[in-house]
Amino acid sequence: MALFRWGHSWDAFHDLEREVDRLLQSVNLSFQGLRFGRQYPPVNLYELPTEYLITAELPGVNSEELELTIANGVLSMTGRHASPEGTTEERYRRQERPRGVWQRSISLPDRVRSDNLSAEFVNGILKIHLPKAEEVKPRQIPVAFGT
Amino acid sequence: MTTELTHTAKNGNAPAPHPPVERLVFTPPIDIYETDAGLILRADLPGVSLDTLDLQVQDNKLTLFGRMQPSVPDNARLLHQEYETGDFLRSFILSDEVDHQHIAAKLNNGVLEVVLPKADKPEPRRIPVQTS
Repeated sequence: MALFRWGHSWDAFHDLEREVDRLLQSVNLSFQGLRFGRQYPPVNLYELPTEYLITAELPGVNSEELELTIANGVLSMTGRHASPEGTTEERYRRQERPRGVWQRSISLPDRVRSDNLSAEFVNGILKIHLPKAEEVKPRQIPVAFGT
Repeated sequence: MTTELTHTAKNGNAPAPHPPVERLVFTPPIDIYETDAGLILRADLPGVSLDTLDLQVQDNKLTLFGRMQPSVPDNARLLHQEYETGDFLRSFILSDEVDHQHIAAKLNNGVLEVVLPKADKPEPRRIPVQTS
């Protein structure tokens, strides 16, 4: 039966991957006050009665170079940290701010109306409004009493 | 601009927060680079607006203090958190090569840019020596 099992031969790796993910998640990586060395922009996710709200810290990212896409319940953000043109490496005395291109993908917690997203970018904070789909909102079910 | 001050929460020169609520204080990441005209300092201050930014030069100390504005409504329930809101604070000692009078700054998309122009070196002055 080896032929039939061949297609599942990577299962062991998936298990390992899952285990490593679980292990990493259990490590608390939040250092208070430390705001450098983060290559990926930090993201917060909030829930409101009618929508989900994603906020991301993106200081120094040009809004023209910011790209948001949504597909299959995954929101992807791509952007670039702008750095001054024509400044050579040896002219830097300090270099702590992140540089270069980054990408983040976020699994959305529930069904959202992906045709009705809106985003705003103020003071280096990106806010994405994700309205909840109708079926996610609680619905009253009338109960009829039979006699 | 060669020395950076390390500060504590008890930094006396920092503007005192108005609400008695304890707020987190962060050290913002910065870049400093040279141009022909002087030095440029850039600091990442996401969530800080012009109204909540305070930039001071006192004696030879440059202090930047920024307060993050809350960006979500009060009834928002936090599901996942990777950053916290608080205040940004960082201080620097300016060297003599910086022209203190002509420091300029602008805030754009959460990035503060401070232009620190080079000070003109005073011309050597000849002192006449007299014989008595």
